Amino acid sequence: MATKAGLRPWLSATRCLWKSRPSVLQHRRNVFTSSDEPFPLQSPDDWQLLQDRRIRFKMLVDLFSEHGSTVTRDNTFQPHHQLHRPLAPSEATLSALIAAGAHFGHAKALLNPNFMPYAYGVRAGITIIDLDSTLPLLRRAASVMRAVVERDGTVVFVGTRPDLRAVVRKAAERIGPQAFHVGERWLPGTLTNKLQLFGRDVAKEQRVTPDLVVFLNPMANAHAIRECAIQHIPTIGIVDSNVDPRVVMYPIPANDESPRTAELITGVLSIAGREGRVLRENKERSKELRQSRYKRGQERGSTR
Amino acid sequence: MNVLRRPPGLSSFRFYSTQTTRPFVPPASLNHLELPQRQREKPRPASPSFYTARPDFYDQLTSLESALQHAKTALTTCHLLPLPQFARTALPPRVNAWVDKRELGLKLRSNLTTSRYRRVVLVLNELETYRAIAEKAGIMELQEGIRGITELFERADAATMLARGKSKPVKFDEYGRSYTLGKRKTSSARVWIVPAQRPPADPSTTALSTQATETDSALDALLNPHSSSKSNEHVSVAQILVNNTPLSTYFPIPADRTRVIHPLKLTGLLGAYNIFAIVRGGGTSGQSGAVAHGIAKGLAAHEPAVATILRKGKILRRDPRMVERKKPGLAKARKRYTWVKR
Repeated sequence: MATKAGLRPWLSATRCLWKSRPSVLQHRRNVFTSSDEPFPLQSPDDWQLLQDRRIRFKMLVDLFSEHGSTVTRDNTFQPHHQLHRPLAPSEATLSALIAAGAHFGHAKALLNPNFMPYAYGVRAGITIIDLDSTLPLLRRAASVMRAVVERDGTVVFVGTRPDLRAVVRKAAERIGPQAFHVGERWLPGTLTNKLQLFGRDVAKEQRVTPDLVVFLNPMANAHAIRECAIQHIPTIGIVDSNVDPRVVMYPIPANDESPRTAELITGVLSIAGREGRVLRENKERSKELRQSRYKRGQERGSTR
Repeated sequence: MNVLRRPPGLSSFRFYSTQTTRPFVPPASLNHLELPQRQREKPRPASPSFYTARPDFYDQLTSLESALQHAKTALTTCHLLPLPQFARTALPPRVNAWVDKRELGLKLRSNLTTSRYRRVVLVLNELETYRAIAEKAGIMELQEGIRGITELFERADAATMLARGKSKPVKFDEYGRSYTLGKRKTSSARVWIVPAQRPPADPSTTALSTQATETDSALDALLNPHSSSKSNEHVSVAQILVNNTPLSTYFPIPADRTRVIHPLKLTGLLGAYNIFAIVRGGGTSGQSGAVAHGIAKGLAAHEPAVATILRKGKILRRDPRMVERKKPGLAKARKRYTWVKR
């Protein structure tokens, strides 16, 4: 006869949903499913226990990671990859630019008329930047960078926002001793008032005027751009839709507010700079080799 | 590239942004000339943050930040970061004593503004937190490594600064005497307390009755010195001497005597200690209050268990009340002159 609970009362919903009362666990030595249950930390042994629990949890995660999805931390996008693993100029694609959000301009009302050739259109009240024009201009800027660095020129990366600080520093580090960065406010007179800012000795004895300046936020650095123009220094800049692209010599029309776009573009330029440095080193090495061979040839000729 | 930097004869003039008197010459037309490559012969600036005009500061800040990053990576590898909230609360609250702005400017060889000083202090505070975590978890290498950096920026008197507000422990001399200071109004008292030696107890009488009689007799003796009592001759009473005179002689007013005895009565240690005090300054009530304060501190040193009772009884705290000054337009501190309608 069927009971109130059904034909098989031991399989009723209520029985299945009964949870076994949790045992008072203090120091269970088997694998934990939750690694962050609070417990008092008094002695170094307690801290050791915390570390042990974490390690066991990680072991559990690693064990199950081998089965199931093949997507790992290494083969998926991680935000820090953009900064530490930049793309080469040849690897920069339209989809990479779109993924970085480089096509978002500013509001339609703020569109600079001189930016019109680089604007694709307007959507949802904002200007969409034409990435078909961005990509070749980015490659052109990369070529300029490569050529300048190859000819022993100095490059300065300027990004005066807190989120751009690390980007410019990394880019300068990647190129080497020829590259510099300005992650804080650009002091007016850095290029036009060198004697005052750097002192007489430094201004006279060192190569203070750079050969190329890259602006990641040109709108905020109008003074710096003007100084570069006065000193006839070529400039590269990420121009947004509210900026006149003619302020810099090699504009790259893209979103200047997105840190991801800045990382992508600066990464491409820094890789190009690195390539230029390598080319220069190779050239110098081959020149040295030729010179040494010539000298040896001369010596052999003189002895005969 | 720039080939002609300055036109000849105009090197001493100031160049304003509106006037660029330099003529532009296409570089290609100068290819046949052997112009000295003066620019190329000069060395490049050494620091990558040269164009910030504060390279020393930014390089140092960068190195501090990279040290912080290394410490963070090390702790993450040891599974100590990210630290859960209950573990963070288990860490001791850090009060850091870093050098001030001027000193830090000297150390970093650049003039510091408040915002730049705060940036450095932020990084140092985080480093100190990671050091505390490493210390608690017992990772000594990392702890020592971070300490090597943070101690460069700590004040010379960091220990004294951090110990501010914490009272120093009272020391006992070789005879077991405590030496404490008490103050009230303008009086200050120096108080020595030593445990009184109890006479051998009579086996016939019970312990309780002995204690009661002793305390009563002690109280009697202190408050009424001249009344003759038989018990005085047999029981040795713990004495209180103020300026080398017995308490009852020095403080004739009963209220003052009670004030001095109050800490002993509260804690029930009336016959237990010999007290010697030297008090200077002020009047009777100030001096009695100062002696009481000194006695309370001494008792807390001898028997830490009674400190709570004394604190609750508000005798362990130096009474901050002082005589209020007279103000102009008033007769006394608060007393106003008689109000006149016209």
